[in-house]
Amino acid sequence: MTTVAEPTPAPAPVAEPPAPAVPVQVPRTHHRFTAAEYNRLGEVRIIGEDDRVELIDGEILDMCAIGYRHAAQVTELTTLLVRNSVGEMRVSVQNPLNLGERYQPQPDLMLLRERTDRYKAALPTAEDVLLLIEVADSSLDYDQHTKLPMYARAGIAEVWIVNLDADQVEIHTQPQEAAYTTTRVARRGETVQIGALPAVTLPVATILL
Amino acid sequence: MTIVAEPTPAPAPVAEPLAPAVPVQVPRTHHRFTAAEYQRLGEVGIIGEEDRVELIDGEILDMGDIGHRHAAQVNRLNRVLVQNSEETMGVSVQNPLQLGERYQPQPDLMLLRARADDYASALPTAADVLLLIEVADSSLDYDQRIKLAVYARAGVTEVWIVNLDADQVEIYTQPQEAAYTTTRVARRGETVQIGALPAVMLPVTTILL
Repeated sequence: MTTVAEPTPAPAPVAEPPAPAVPVQVPRTHHRFTAAEYNRLGEVRIIGEDDRVELIDGEILDMCAIGYRHAAQVTELTTLLVRNSVGEMRVSVQNPLNLGERYQPQPDLMLLRERTDRYKAALPTAEDVLLLIEVADSSLDYDQHTKLPMYARAGIAEVWIVNLDADQVEIHTQPQEAAYTTTRVARRGETVQIGALPAVTLPVATILL
Repeated sequence: MTIVAEPTPAPAPVAEPLAPAVPVQVPRTHHRFTAAEYQRLGEVGIIGEEDRVELIDGEILDMGDIGHRHAAQVNRLNRVLVQNSEETMGVSVQNPLQLGERYQPQPDLMLLRARADDYASALPTAADVLLLIEVADSSLDYDQRIKLAVYARAGVTEVWIVNLDADQVEIYTQPQEAAYTTTRVARRGETVQIGALPAVMLPVTTILL
C-alpha cells in the first residue's frame, strides 16, 4: 500500500504520470440533432428567436454577434435584391434554409424563387434558392471552408461571399460535389450579374458599402 | 469584368488564393445549454433515455459506446459498492449528477449519502457524493483531464478512475480549485479504502476484473 499523502498545491503529484504528454485527444463528440429535433427546440422555446444558431452537420452552432459593418452590408444587399427581383421572388434575410436531415444554416440573404405557398408551408430548400449571399468579416474562413462546400453539396446554384475585408464580391457558380467549379472575384469598377436575373447588371460599387 | 468561366473539376480555381494555407480556424462555438434547458430536452423527448449524453460546460456531448469490458467493470464495482455500503447509502450507476448551471455529467458510479427523499425530488449534487468512480478505457484522457477538473472544482471529495489499460485504480482526494491535491495509484496486491467507509478494506484484486 503506497500512499502519497502529503497535500501539495495543484497539479496533483502522482507515482507515475497517468496522463500522456501529448495534447489532449478528447474522445467526445458533440451531440448531433436532426433537423426535426432542432426545430422542436424552437417550438418548445429551449432555443428562442433571440438565439442566433445554425444546425451544421447535426451540431447546433452559435453564430457570431452581428457587427455594425456586417449589419449595414446586409441591409444594403436587402434593398438591392428587393429592388431588382422580379415577380413573386422573395428576399429572405437571416432566415433558415432546410438542407436535409442534419443541416439548417441561416444564410445572410437568399433570393428565393416564386413558390405557390409563399413559403408558409415549409422552409425553403436548395432548389428554391436562386442566389445565396454570405457577408463575411470574421466569419470569412468558416464561410469559405465550411459553408461553401455545404452549399455546393446541396446544389445551390449561385453563392456570393461579400468579403468585407478584401472589399470584393466572390461569385461561386456551377456546384459539383462539394465545390463550386467556377469562381469569379469582382471588385469596384466591375459589374456583376445574378444568374437568375440575366437582365440586371449591377456595378460592384453599388453592392459594396 | 474578369470572368473565369471554364468549368474545371473541383477544387475551384480562383484568381487569387482565397483560402489561407494555414489550418482552418473555425470561429464557431457550439451552442451552450443551461442545466434547466438540458433537462427540458429530456422531458420533451428531444433527447431520449437511449441517448448517452452529458452536459459539460453547457455543451451536450455524446458519451462513447459502452464496450463489454467497461460494462463488466461497472457491474463489478456496482456489486462491490452495494455489498460494502451502509444500507441507507445509494449506489447510482450511470445516472446524472447536478453540478451547477452548466454541468450535468453522468459518472459511471456514485456512492451517495443517505438523503431523506431517496433522491426522488432532485438529482444528487456534489455534496451528496461520497465516492465517484469513472471506468476509463478509451475515455481515459478525457476522464483525467476534463472530468477530474470538473469534479474537483465542484468539490466532489473522492474520485476513483479505474484505469482498465493500466490495470490500476487511481484514487483522487482533497480537491482544491480545479485539481485533486492527493493522488494514489493502487495496483493488484494492495488494498484500498473509501473515505466514507473507513471500516472497509478492499483488495484491489476484488475491484479490478
